[in-house]
Amino acid sequence: MNPQKKLLNRLLLQPVGKSRLRAALIALFTGIFLFLSSVLLWWNFNELLHGKNSNDALAATYIVIAKKVTDANMGNPVATLFSDRDVQSVAGAPGVEEVGEITANRFPVYAMMGGELGFATEMPLECVPDKFLDNLPADWAWKPGDKVLPIIISSQFLDIYNYVFAPGQGLPQLSESTVKSLNLRLKVGSEQHGEMLLAHVVGFSDRIGSVIAPRSFIDYGNSSYGASATSHGPSQLVLRVSDPSDTHFTAFLDQHDYRTNPQNLRWSRIRGVVDVVVAGTGLLALCIVGTSMLVIILFIQLTIARARESLTLLLQIGYSPSILGRFLAFRFLPLLLAAAFTAFLAASALQYWAATHIPVQGIRLPLMPGTAVWAAFVVVLVALLSWVWLAIRKAVG
Amino acid sequence: MQLSLDHIIPIPLKDVFAQRKSDVWNTTLTLDMGQFVFVKAPSGTGKTTLLHQIYGIRKDFEGSVHWGKLNLNNAGPEELAKLRKDQLSIVFQDLRLFPALTAFENIEIKRLLNEHISKEQVAGWMDRLQIGHKKNSLASTLSYGEQQRVAILRALVQPFSWLLMDEPFSHLDQANKHLARALVQEVCTANGAGLVLADLDDNNYFPYAKTLQL
Repeated sequence: MNPQKKLLNRLLLQPVGKSRLRAALIALFTGIFLFLSSVLLWWNFNELLHGKNSNDALAATYIVIAKKVTDANMGNPVATLFSDRDVQSVAGAPGVEEVGEITANRFPVYAMMGGELGFATEMPLECVPDKFLDNLPADWAWKPGDKVLPIIISSQFLDIYNYVFAPGQGLPQLSESTVKSLNLRLKVGSEQHGEMLLAHVVGFSDRIGSVIAPRSFIDYGNSSYGASATSHGPSQLVLRVSDPSDTHFTAFLDQHDYRTNPQNLRWSRIRGVVDVVVAGTGLLALCIVGTSMLVIILFIQLTIARARESLTLLLQIGYSPSILGRFLAFRFLPLLLAAAFTAFLAASALQYWAATHIPVQGIRLPLMPGTAVWAAFVVVLVALLSWVWLAIRKAVG
Repeated sequence: MQLSLDHIIPIPLKDVFAQRKSDVWNTTLTLDMGQFVFVKAPSGTGKTTLLHQIYGIRKDFEGSVHWGKLNLNNAGPEELAKLRKDQLSIVFQDLRLFPALTAFENIEIKRLLNEHISKEQVAGWMDRLQIGHKKNSLASTLSYGEQQRVAILRALVQPFSWLLMDEPFSHLDQANKHLARALVQEVCTANGAGLVLADLDDNNYFPYAKTLQL
């Protein structure tokens, strides 16, 4: 340190102890860390709910709707199908971003499995546009003549088997990989006019609650073996919606007597609550960061107030406010920057820890804070430095 | 750099001073650069007030003070700082040293603003005024006479066109007065600077070009 700064240091910065400075810096660090943590919380929720890798289990932005079966329409299957007009009306409903038709098989499908798990059952199949599938397997294709049919089953089916059916029947529970290794024999069409295929489970879906086959197979089956008398048109629609808990959207469903899994709507309401809680946390963190900045400003003002006599005399003997302001700024700003960057590093470490531990729950988080967190940090930093600089300039006149 | 006073009068003492005859208050006065001026000011006539006003510490006066083209009434803190750093030096009546600094550091903190003279020169001047042995003593532990000499040296280490002195030798014995006076005159001459010395009674410290009754 040059001799002039050494003397200024003794005159202006000695009056307030180092322990007070440390306490003020810890307060600043804590304030910025809590603020950045709340921004991280908000940002992570946002990424999970609205980001490119949004997780269905959390987002519930895809819902399946059907017409309610009532006493009045239960004898008329056509009444529960969606007409083109219905589909258009749903597409125009509030918050609906995309509509996909779920087409069911109109031909007999009989599934059989030998061995210890031996069973045989009628199997309903459906198809949805590929873009509505949460995980599109690599081998998701079928063309007439292929003997192996890829199918996707609802995750709920496996849960029902593993936790309800298997324990009750003394059967072994099955992992997803085991199910994928099993083959089902499918008898498609009638006894006289039909064919045998091998069905292979290639994936599981959280969105669709049934068994999905490629559209090419359903179209082929319906045209080759389908009963011409049965009506056309989808019985269910899969929707991508911006906010399933939106009251306008739910009112639309009620008004048209459409039903969906109410759990989805309930979760969306919980999501709304989470949004409010996160916003509340952010507000609280903003208050904390504001208070911590106030603490550091008050500390600087206290330092200057205690050195007021020296400061006045320095100005009287020819030291300019700009020299003294710069001196004080260069003494305080590196400490403030160190506290702020340490807080940012701590917040980044928190994000890294969360990203490496939370995937166990099946949720994917980014390893590093994103642009929103950087932007919040820059805003806080600029506000802090500007505020401190103004306080110093004001104090030295 | 010329000093011009135009009808200055301290606001708090306006009523008193307006009725009294003075060579300074409520009149027009111009002091040319290089002049040695003595302001004779009995107690209570505003000696310190005058020096503080023309040094720019007090602004509670009517009229105007000009240092060259700079009007003190409108001067900002940065302009005042520049004036005090390069042109105008002062020995306060109450000395105004930093008690937490040593005698040498009190001078050094001023010298480092311009580094107009060297550290060695300062040490030589301290020896000359017989305070060299107190170089490392805290200002708060010095006698008033020693502090007065430190204050005089602090005023001399910067470049200046005018030196303002408020009872600068009041606590010095004759020998030290003589030493201090000689050094002040030497440095003023070297700088080509003028001097305004305010004191209670007549003196012959310097060959004054002008004596003003406050």
